[in-house]
This record gives sequence, structure tokens and C-alpha cells, in this order.
Amino acid sequence: MSFLIPCPNCGKRSAYEFRFGGEVKTRPEAGSSNEEWLGYSYAAANRNHSQKEWWFHTYGCRQWLFAVRDTMTNEVTETSLPEEAP
Amino acid sequence: MSRKMDSAPRHGVSFRGNDGSSGTATPVSNEQARVAFYFNGRSIEALPQDTVASALYRSGRRTFSRSFKYHRPRGLLCVSGRCPNCLMNVDGTPNVRACMQPVQDGMQVIHQNASPSLETDFMAIAEKFSWAMPVGFYYKTFTHPWMWHLAEPFIRRAAGLGKIDNDPNAVTDHPYEHVFLYTTTAVVGGGPYGIRAALEAAEQGEQVVLIDDQPALGGYLRYTGSVKNTSGTASHSDTPAEGEPTEGLDALVKRVNEHPNITVFTNATCFGLYEGRLLGIAHKNPDSSVAQRVTQLRTERIVVATGAYEVPVLFENNDLPGVMLSTGALRLLGLHGVTPGERAVVVGSTEAATSAANELESAGVEVTGVVPPDQVVKAVGRKHVTALQTAEGQLACDLVVVCGDWVPDAGLVAQAGGTVAWNEKRSVFATSDLPEGVSAVGAVTGESLPPAVGLSTSSAANSKKVFVCPCEDVSLHDLKTAITEGFDHIETLKRYTTTTMGPCQGKMCQQAAISICAEQTGQTIQETGRTTSRPPTSPIPLGALAGPHLHPVKRTPMHAKHDEIGCVWMDMGEWKRPLYYGTPDSKRESVEQEYWAVRQRVGLIDLSTLGKLDVVGSDAGKLLDKVYTNRFSDLRVGRARYGVICDEAGIILDDGTVSRVAEDRYFITTTTGNIEFVQEWLEWWLAGTGMCVHITNVTGGMAAVNVAGPKARDTLAKLTDRDLSNKRFGYMRCRQAEVAGVPSLMLRIGFVGETGWEIHFPAEYGEHVWDAILEAGAEFDIRPFGVETQRVLRLEKKHVIVSVDTDATSNPIESDLAWVAKLDKDDFIGKAAISRAKDRAPREKLVGFTMDEDVLPPDGCVIIADGQPAGRITSVRFSPVNERIIGLAWVSAGLAVAGQTIEMRVDGRPVTAKIADEPFYDPAQARLRQ
Ligand code: FES
Ligand SMILES: [Zn+2]
Repeated sequence: MSFLIPCPNCGKRSAYEFRFGGEVKTRPEAGSSNEEWLGYSYAAANRNHSQKEWWFHTYGCRQWLFAVRDTMTNEVTETSLPEEAP
Repeated sequence: MSRKMDSAPRHGVSFRGNDGSSGTATPVSNEQARVAFYFNGRSIEALPQDTVASALYRSGRRTFSRSFKYHRPRGLLCVSGRCPNCLMNVDGTPNVRACMQPVQDGMQVIHQNASPSLETDFMAIAEKFSWAMPVGFYYKTFTHPWMWHLAEPFIRRAAGLGKIDNDPNAVTDHPYEHVFLYTTTAVVGGGPYGIRAALEAAEQGEQVVLIDDQPALGGYLRYTGSVKNTSGTASHSDTPAEGEPTEGLDALVKRVNEHPNITVFTNATCFGLYEGRLLGIAHKNPDSSVAQRVTQLRTERIVVATGAYEVPVLFENNDLPGVMLSTGALRLLGLHGVTPGERAVVVGSTEAATSAANELESAGVEVTGVVPPDQVVKAVGRKHVTALQTAEGQLACDLVVVCGDWVPDAGLVAQAGGTVAWNEKRSVFATSDLPEGVSAVGAVTGESLPPAVGLSTSSAANSKKVFVCPCEDVSLHDLKTAITEGFDHIETLKRYTTTTMGPCQGKMCQQAAISICAEQTGQTIQETGRTTSRPPTSPIPLGALAGPHLHPVKRTPMHAKHDEIGCVWMDMGEWKRPLYYGTPDSKRESVEQEYWAVRQRVGLIDLSTLGKLDVVGSDAGKLLDKVYTNRFSDLRVGRARYGVICDEAGIILDDGTVSRVAEDRYFITTTTGNIEFVQEWLEWWLAGTGMCVHITNVTGGMAAVNVAGPKARDTLAKLTDRDLSNKRFGYMRCRQAEVAGVPSLMLRIGFVGETGWEIHFPAEYGEHVWDAILEAGAEFDIRPFGVETQRVLRLEKKHVIVSVDTDATSNPIESDLAWVAKLDKDDFIGKAAISRAKDRAPREKLVGFTMDEDVLPPDGCVIIADGQPAGRITSVRFSPVNERIIGLAWVSAGLAVAGQTIEMRVDGRPVTAKIADEPFYDPAQARLRQ
């Protein structure tokens, strides 16, 4: 695992500088059913190819960011800060 | 015997037997500058350009190792670091390739895998029992576990190569270094193609790093003079072909060295190509203080110019010392000036064979014949070759020079994602489909290589002695047997026979194994395919990958004070904390004295390691309500509250106190060492919400102490104007105040169960405040106390320590912390899971217990009910006030009833304890609120 992540604040950096936060999921509304909560907590879509993920730039700007990563090649095609994300 | 012995060998091995040189020694002439190193304790003279192998060869040594399985004598084969034949222990490092190791004065070299000596190895008896060790020996023999247990001690002793120095100090003897670099273009391989690629890129303004594993640039040009226009004599770095630069080597190297855009790494092996065009490069002895440096070189473009290498020809006894690859012989001659033999037979059919013969003859070697591979019957000789048996008779010789097939050194191409496939038309492996940013030039592409001659094994009388894989002693017979046994896929064949899995990683044997597999299964070589190529392409010490032994240490602002008093230190993550004050053998008395100081008078503990966060903003309360299980938006200014953070599965992540210091400002403490995590966690739940909150980690900027005990108030009253009375500064209140003249935040909290204040203040005043408190408390006989005493004090109050008493499955309901989960809150992280946990019957519970007798069970001790494991102890200590041993334990829910007896075994003896549901000290919290 030595791919690069283009941090919107810091530029292209080694993935070793980041902490992985898993795929981006939508948190259920308060009061949702158990099934929905269990799905949210334990199930992962584990997409082939393009997947939107959380990454934290631990040894850089210390910001959470979104990265779209190809899970087959580890190529990160796009990153954004959550505030600016569409 | 006049041998130099000015220092004893450093690695105390004694040697018996003769020194076993079977070849003719060529003395080093007196005019040449000399170096001396030790081989098995004997001094060997060498020239500065020598490797350990070339110097030993010059001194007459012909046996360099014993084979892995049968302990057959082995001599130099490739002389380029690609085979297993010259592995030796150099200055304590095992498995060093002697032919790649430059000599250094005083170096200590010892042989491996032979006892007592390379010449007389008792383990050679193994070959007599080869019938008992068929291919797939392990799978066929150890069909029941007891068989393995029986054989294991013997196999363990015989297996493995080289010995590791178990002395922990040896690690610091071999310092490793990591370096991170960036360049636009990296060229791997310093042969003519690599040099030309580097110059071209540099001319275009690129920053170029040119990497070669030899001491100097030039590839094959360094050791072939007259024969450089034939394709058969290439070095590993490159192969000459059409379009080869006509410029001389010196001129090329001069241009490289003078170019400002080119950096050259020599003696540097590129062992892997990783994602993001990252190259792993190992440099041996980059300077005298470093054993090995690993460079991670990030690049935009990579040019692979690693060339091709020669592989052995298969015939009976092809592993006998004296049978050498033509490139090996030419390297000995051209690079080190060592004559490889007196009478040579050349095996080969290409024009390369003629060229090699010419080269040898011009160096004064008598060449008695050039034999095509299919005419060879076997090599003759016991410990060294004495003749080559051909279809037409025997040719006496002391050297068999083998011109084998050529294989592109394409490991990096494959790792990059490129294809390395058999080209049927041209009978070579060739590269194609390289990914963007990676290209290949020269022989590694397969383009200029002569077509492979392939197998000529039909004439082999005894296929058991035709060695395909010299590393693992896998013979032609073994491979054929394995294929008939059904392992006819190249990947299963590899795993079953272990061919290609030894130290050479398939360099010497992969091509042959593929050909044999193809021939036996009736497939083409293309259909047979290749096994996957993964880093490292050549072996690299684990220590070099692990890198330097550096580990950050954090010291609190009062560190020097603790040292002055004298304490026993403990590591808590990166932090150093006093475990207790005293000496290593005073633990029990020291802890008890500190304990009674807190319970009866006043104690002082350094809490600077606590994580501290400053959380500011109009939405700060809202964020904390979401992240903590309890409520903070309703916390009044000037108050503090204990809080727990859980994840969405309801698992406890951290705990600490949250104090509201202003309407829009909270001060949070976290567990020592967990601060980064908690900050990231808060930031995560903040990200993208648009809430107005700013989180700052102030851990390093703030020192903290806890002053606790019946006399804590009297002590602090001397240092602050704040009214510390219960009425004006009650339990769980927080106040800004000056303490000893330093602006501080005082929290009326404490987990040790006495009246006390936690004081947070700027780190630069750490020592000043510490001293001032000790001075103020002197009249009450104040004592500093350490982590061990604090644990006893906390345990008596039954305070749970997150990640000591809880683990990755603990939720607040089962951890006796149900009260912190405010399930009436609209929403918080983990609410759904904690609600579920509350509704279902708990499986386990965290409970207190008191031992029935004076026995101290170890942490983690298993609790037994009805002969079955029913829980485990997480904390256990002697409680001075109860004069009993007390603790916390997880027990199955059925046992979690006050008064219930639980059982465990300590030192093999059953002992009992009783569950206690109240804290062990001051359950009414009266002392805390005094
Ligand atoms: S002879 Fe040294 S590795 Fe082959
Ligand atoms: Zn960043």
C-alpha cells in the first residue's frame, strides 16, 4: 500500500500519512429500525472499483476528507473536503 | 604456517579439518595494495576491488557452501548475486552473498550449513538418504500430528540456512537507515541502455536517479572487452545488441557523472516496485556507520533497464564446484583479475560459446573443447569437477564454463503490472503492456536476446542428480515425479516441490521448471505460464525493512523533578510516568506509604499525560451531546461532568471529564495516549456538518496535577486566593484561578476517592507549580505518588479504566457504567446499540470482588464456574484499607450477584473470592465531597 492521495490542503502525499475511515455511508435517522442500524454499523458495500471513502490526514493538515478510490488499483481519482463536497 | 592472526574471530566459532582449498592459489603480488579479512579465522589477502568470493577464489578456495538438503558441495556459479551458492556469514550477518560483498579490512567471514567444515560436512550423509526424502516429503510423511512431534526436533536442527545472532546488542551493531526521496525519472540498471536512458531524460530537463547494484556503472561493459558485440555475454545490467551505443564506457560514465541532473546510486539494489511508482532500494554500506540504507524513491517515470541473466544448463552433476556460468567466469576474470581455472571445457552452442572460449584462452586458460549442450552426459568429479563426460568420451578439465539460456531480469516489470510472456516465435520471454509511466529498454524487454536452446535432458542418465533448483536441491527427477503425482500446474508444482522458493527466488530455476512442466504436460511454454513475481526481487534483511530503532519518548514538564526525587519509571504509550517513587526493590513499601499519604494527609500526582482538548464554538455543546453518551449542552458554566464516548456499536472508546469553562467553551480530558484518536473522532463527527466548533489539542501545552487527600484544601489554600470551601467550590465544579501565581483551571474532581483538585496550567510552569505545592504541603507531610498507587486508590473506588478493564467488546451497560448512557437523549453515537444492549439480557458483567484469602491472582486470571471458564480478572491489587485483595473482573451475568462466590486457580491451587457490588472504599462518597 504505497499509493498517493492528493490532499486538497497539502497536495499529493503517501497514503501512509493518512488514516482510513472506511466507505462513506449515510447514518440512519434517530429512531430508525434495528435492521437499519445494524446494516449501517456492520455491513459494507465493498464496491469494486470506484468507492467514496473517508480519509484523515494524520501527518499533514489533520483534516477529514473524501477520496474516491479505485479499489482494484488503489488509484485515488478525486478528493474533497466535506464542507465543499457536492 | 605463516598466517596473520592479529585479531581473534569475533564470532566465536571454532574450526577443524583442513582449510580445504582444492584449487590453485594465485598469490597476490607484492606491489598491489592489499586488504586482509578473515575466513573461518584465517587471514585472507585481497585486493581492494575484490569481493569476498573473488578473494577466496584467488586464494584457492573452490567450495563455497553446502546445499540446503543434501549438503552437496557447491562452488561459485553466477558470481552476480543470483544463485544460492556463495551464502556466508559476514560480520555476524547470515546469508550474505560473498560474490557481492566488497572486502573490508578485518572483516570476519564464516561458512554456513556445513559441519565441521565446507570440505568435510557430516550432514552430507543426507544424500544417502535421499530415497527417504522424496519430493513432497512433508506431505507424504507427516500424516498424523504425532509423527511431526517425533521428527520436529531433528528437522528444526537441520532446516534453515544461516544462524541469527541472538545477542540483542547485535541489532545496534547493524544500524539501518531509511531515506525518502523524490525524482521525476528513475532508471534501474546502469548498463549501456540504462546510461543512455538516463542521459536522454536528463537532457530533457528531468531529474534522474540512476540505480545499479554493482560498485560502478557499465553493466556487462565492465568485464567484457573484446566480445561486447555478441549477445551471449551480457551482464545482468544489460545485453548488447543492435543500436548499442558505440561510445566507450569511460566516456559514457563521464557524461553521466558530469550531468547536473543525474544522481547515481551504485551498490544499490532495487528490490521492489510498488503502487504509486515507488521504488524500494537497498544500499549496502552507504557509509561506514550504516549497514544498510533503504531508500523509498517516489517517481513520475521509471525506466527498467535491468537487462538479462544467464541460467544453468541441465545435465547430471551440473551443480559440481567448477561448473560455472560463462558470465560468472568472465566476471571473475574481467572484474577481479582472477583466473577461473587452468583447463576449461565450454558448454554451449551459440556463438557466445566461441566468444567465451576465446576470452578464456586470451587470459591463459587452456580450453580443451566446446561442447553443445545436447552432447553433455555429465560432469565428473567428487568434490570438484575433474572432467566432462560427453557422448564421445571424457574431456579432462578443472572448469566447465556453461553458456546457458538468457532470461530477462523482469521482476520489476511484472510488479509494475506489465506482462512477461513467452514469445513462441523468438523463443524468449518478452515484456509487454507496461503501465503508464513505466517503460523498459534493453535486454529486459527480451528483444535482443538469443533464442532459448531449451531442455536437453534426454541424455541424462540419472535425473536425480540433474539439479534444476540449486537452492532447494530439487532435481529433474523430483519435478517429473511431482507432475505425475498431479501437481501439473506451474503454481502447484512450485508449492509442492518448493522449486523457485529458495534464496534465489527462481532466478536460476524458473525458466527450467517452466520448460519441464511444459514438456511433461504437453503444453506450450506460453500455456504453462509463469509464477507471480512479488517484491522483493532479491533478498533484503528484515532489519533493513524495519529500519532504525527510533521511538519517540514524551516527557512531562515535571520529568526532571521526578528524577530528582527518584522514581521507578513506566511507559504509558509514548509517555514516561513515575510508577512509584523509590527504588526497584521498594515497591511494596513505597506504594503503601504513598497510599496512606493520600488517604490520611495529602498526595500529589503528575497528570500532564492526560489528553486535553479545548473545544470552542456556539455549537460545541451540540457536538458533545452527539459524541458523548451523556448530555453536555445542559452543563452549567463552572461545572464538570464525567463522560464516556462510544462507537456506533456501543463499544466504549474513551472516558474523561468535560468542564464547561464558558458559555461557548469546554475543556475536555481524555485517557493518556488516546488524545489523537479522540480528537480525530470529534473532528470526524464535525466534518461536513457546518456546526461552529473549533477543536484544539492542548495536551503538550498544559501541565496537570492532582492534589488529593484530607489536607488538599489546606495545602492549596496557601497558593490561591480562590475560596476552596465546599460552599464556594463544591464537588464537580470548575474555576479559573491563580495557583502559585500561575493562571490555572481548577477542577474539583478526583478518582482516588478523597477531596481533591485537578489543576491544569501552562506547561512552562510545570516545575514551579510542582515545587510550590510540595512546599505548601510540607507541613502536612505531603507525598508525590505514582501510577501504581493511583491504580490502588482508583480500584478501591471501583473506577473502571478504559482499555484495561474494558476491551473492544465492552459496552457501558455491561461495564457497570449504565448511568452515563442517557437513552432519553434524542440521538448520540451508539444510542441504538446501547438501547439494544439494555433490552437484552447481558452476557457478561464487570464486577468488583474481594479475595477470600491473601492470594494475588495475576491480571487476566480465568474465573471458573462448574469447571468451565466463566470470566477473567482485569485489575487486582492489595487494598491497604481493607487489608484484603480486591479487584475487577468480567463474569458471566449469572454470577454477577453480590455475595456470590467465584473460583479461580492461582499457582495450580483453587482459590475463591466474593462478588462485591459496592465500591471498596467510602461507598457513600462522603470523603470526596468533604
Ligand atoms: S555465486 Fe554468488 S550468488 Fe551466485
Ligand atoms: Zn492534508
